[in-house]
Amino acid sequence: MKRNIRITAVVALALTTSMGLAACGRSADTGAKATDTAATVSSGKATGTITVWAMGAEGDNLPKLTKDFEAANPGVTVEVTAVPWDSAHDKFKTAITAGKTPDAAMVGTTWMGEFAQALDPTPATIDKTTFFEGAQKTTEVAGTSYGVPWYVETRLVYYRKDLAEKAGITTLPTDWAGLKAMAKAMQDKAGAKWGINLQAGGQGSWQTILPFAWSNGAEVATADQKKFTFDTPETAEAVKYYQSYFTDGISLPKAAAEGSTEPNFVNGSVPMFISGPWMMGAVEKVGGADFKDKYGVMQMPKQKTATSFVGGSDLVVFKTSKNRDSAWKLVQWLSDPATQVKWYGLSTDLPSVKSAWQDPALTADEKLAVFGKQLEDAKAPPAIATWEEVASAFDSEMEKVTKSGLDPAAALKAVQVKADSIGTGS
Amino acid sequence: MSTIAPARGSEAPKPPAARRRKGQSRQSRAAWILALPFLSLFTVFTAWPVISSLYMSLTDIKSRDLRSPFAVTFVGFDNYARVFGDETFRKSVLNTFYFALVGVPLTLGIALAAAIALDKGITRFRTLFRVGYYTPVVTSIVAVAVVWRFLLQPDIGLVNTVLGWVGINGPDWLQNTTWSMPSLIVMASWRNFGTAMIIFLAGLQSVPVMLHEAASIDGASAWQRFRHITLPMLRPTMLFVSVTTGIGYLQVFEEPFVMTQGGPLDSTLTISMYTYKQFSFGNYGFAASMGYVLFVIIVALTAVQFRFFRSNT
Amino acid sequence: MHSKRSTSSQILLYAVLTIGFILVVTPFVWMILGSFKSEGELRQLPPTWWPQTGTLDNYRDLFDKAKFLTYFFNSTLVAVIVTTGNVIFCSMVGYALAKLDFGGKKLVFGLVMGTLLLPGMVTFVPLFVLVANMGLVDSYPGLILPFLVTPFGVFLMRQFILQLPDDLLDAGRIDGASELRIFRQIILPLCGPALGTLGILTFLSSWNSFLWPLVVAQTQDYYTLPVALALFSTGQNETDYGLLLAGATVVVMPIVIVFLILQRRFIEGIASTGIK
Repeated sequence: MKRNIRITAVVALALTTSMGLAACGRSADTGAKATDTAATVSSGKATGTITVWAMGAEGDNLPKLTKDFEAANPGVTVEVTAVPWDSAHDKFKTAITAGKTPDAAMVGTTWMGEFAQALDPTPATIDKTTFFEGAQKTTEVAGTSYGVPWYVETRLVYYRKDLAEKAGITTLPTDWAGLKAMAKAMQDKAGAKWGINLQAGGQGSWQTILPFAWSNGAEVATADQKKFTFDTPETAEAVKYYQSYFTDGISLPKAAAEGSTEPNFVNGSVPMFISGPWMMGAVEKVGGADFKDKYGVMQMPKQKTATSFVGGSDLVVFKTSKNRDSAWKLVQWLSDPATQVKWYGLSTDLPSVKSAWQDPALTADEKLAVFGKQLEDAKAPPAIATWEEVASAFDSEMEKVTKSGLDPAAALKAVQVKADSIGTGS
Repeated sequence: MSTIAPARGSEAPKPPAARRRKGQSRQSRAAWILALPFLSLFTVFTAWPVISSLYMSLTDIKSRDLRSPFAVTFVGFDNYARVFGDETFRKSVLNTFYFALVGVPLTLGIALAAAIALDKGITRFRTLFRVGYYTPVVTSIVAVAVVWRFLLQPDIGLVNTVLGWVGINGPDWLQNTTWSMPSLIVMASWRNFGTAMIIFLAGLQSVPVMLHEAASIDGASAWQRFRHITLPMLRPTMLFVSVTTGIGYLQVFEEPFVMTQGGPLDSTLTISMYTYKQFSFGNYGFAASMGYVLFVIIVALTAVQFRFFRSNT
Repeated sequence: MHSKRSTSSQILLYAVLTIGFILVVTPFVWMILGSFKSEGELRQLPPTWWPQTGTLDNYRDLFDKAKFLTYFFNSTLVAVIVTTGNVIFCSMVGYALAKLDFGGKKLVFGLVMGTLLLPGMVTFVPLFVLVANMGLVDSYPGLILPFLVTPFGVFLMRQFILQLPDDLLDAGRIDGASELRIFRQIILPLCGPALGTLGILTFLSSWNSFLWPLVVAQTQDYYTLPVALALFSTGQNETDYGLLLAGATVVVMPIVIVFLILQRRFIEGIASTGIK
């Protein structure tokens, strides 16, 4: 058997030497160009077939909505393919690589930087100011917008109203010290095991940690998206604040066991956490019918600003689309305030269009209103192609900060070194 | 039609060399025909992607470049050098070795014990036990993960509850950098021993009962019979199972991916997981070279196992 | 005639085996029971055992998703063709490698073994690009062709056939049978157990395959069951556990049934795959 392996190895080696000749070297021009100009979209009805990929529940619900579009544009067919969320990133990446993309798609906001070179720039006919600023920025790569925000989500602090009362909290905290004091009070006076559930580093923790940095005036990269700026005193200050929850024993010290956030919230052992609108339904499922009144949501505490994270999904049209014109018409239609409200009704996804929030369907719910308010001050990391990789490095260092007590400034220096070596891809 | 069996190399009407040549070319033709479907599918769907990925591993190609794959820089073995220089990669190698070197004997040990118990120990309910012990292999990883995560929970988990009865304060298994890997090793062994067990069962069933009877008449104890009859006769089975389990464990991905995502603090990050991460970042050249390094490791360890299971004949 | 064993040690053995049985079967049973629970109950800690909110909603949701039958059909079609293909082609080349003499034999076997040891992740993307360029994306051939013959299957058949006595072949040759006829009429009939083994393992692997069908399908018409399952149950921020467990139960049932039916043949098969 060893001889056969040796033969195979020799064959492989012979092939590799000949491959050296194949790689001809890079040209100087790479990456998404900043000078991508947006072609216009014609007026008139949409035609032909538009293929759309959408993930999860959105993929399920979208066909119900697009029936209206098809009615308004006779002759057009919208084909929606639902894609599983878990592996959607892989599927998109592979599809782009092989050139097998649909006309339009729903794309996670943090993927925009990676996919930009395959996307069509947003036409000028779509008014960018109708969207929440933070959400709109998620579509901008090197100054050009490559799609529109479809729906958004943002993060608020969830807290148990009844336990807060017990802990003697009469007014909601509005600054960093206040938030910490509230969490501590929950532990001391309301019988909570841990005051608050903050993610202790690890995958995705940047979504909870960076808002504190942003609230302290820090930015993650320079305005031209050419260099990362993790190693700044403002960021270090924010991380130190975050770390104090762990060193002072206020936050759950390790990753919450999967699916345990809701039960812990409901039984009062961890009566505060930071998360998005979907958790309302989740805690109510576990807490039962009357749990609704036992908890509330509040805005992020203010340092210099009270900034939260904005996520959600964007709608994009691919460069290789054969029905580009109609695809953009569909996107435009989906960004119409009335359609956005209808979509909210179908899916409970929060509209990305500011004016849609005036609709009674959204103003009625008091908790929802807090989300709406927070959306006015919510940011996302810059749409840089290498973001996922850099974020992964950030998450790793933050794990050391929260679990092993690593000094925040040292951790951020390490992140900066890694980020610089990965680069921004431009 | 001659009725004399033409035993190889014996006297024959034609000169031996010519007969062999004719026989060989007949066999050759048949062989190539039989191998044709395999070879054509292999050339298209395996050989080409292998060449393609080898090429990628020698360049600095990223996912963005795949539309113009030749407009990249040839970096020779730079990627490979970077792979070995990468601290996280080295950690993942240690983790993977830890996993395989402990996991394979553990899995095989449980499988062998179960197989022996089912083969000789009991007479009833064999099928029931056989099927039951195989269910972890076919149960969805999601169900497995939910149950195991509950088992290993620090406060209310079953494991710590049972340990509590004997006065031991169990750690937070999956969140503890020392215990996370052992927990996954136990879980993986639990999940995979069924396949090995069934193979062992078959192997055991072909050990002639007479040998055991003769030995026990001579006064050999059960343990002695096991050591000197069963084990040696099982050697080829052991090799097959050890090699295939080893190959699987060196590529372990699902268990750490679903249970710990490689944490805490990269204590359960395996080579496959790290390679997958690099592919998802789009660093195709780098990730491809990592994959080939893993390949070399697998080949080396398989060769070692072949030697190990042959040497004591 | 087995040796004397005391009743107490027998009881002990049965006890240990039963404990072991409970340990291994629990998640499987929990999975089935969980498919009848509501989402709220599934998220409770500590987890419940018997469903307190017994509901058929999860199964209703599962089958209501209009295309469930399509996904089931796709999975079945692909798994059956891949299994059949492997059974035929792997035995063909396995025989050639085991019993026939030809130039390049060592090379071919080396390629087979080399591929067996290669991590699949490495060739995944180039394979997809290739299939896309061949225009096989979003089609049954695209789902099937790359897996129609696998190195594992070739290795398995080769090991088994190696064991068969050469005399049979020689006898056939004397009688003037062509090599191919020898293969068809002498060798193949003797390969029953190995073919059964190969069949089960291939079916299992193809039935559970997730990543490849996910990436090859452009529209839901070509999704297989595992892809559809992931689609229904995993959201951007949360998972529908009830649906997931119901789906997992449905997906595993055919395998369990196939295994139960063939397990006798399966074990016989492994016994004789030349691993001795």
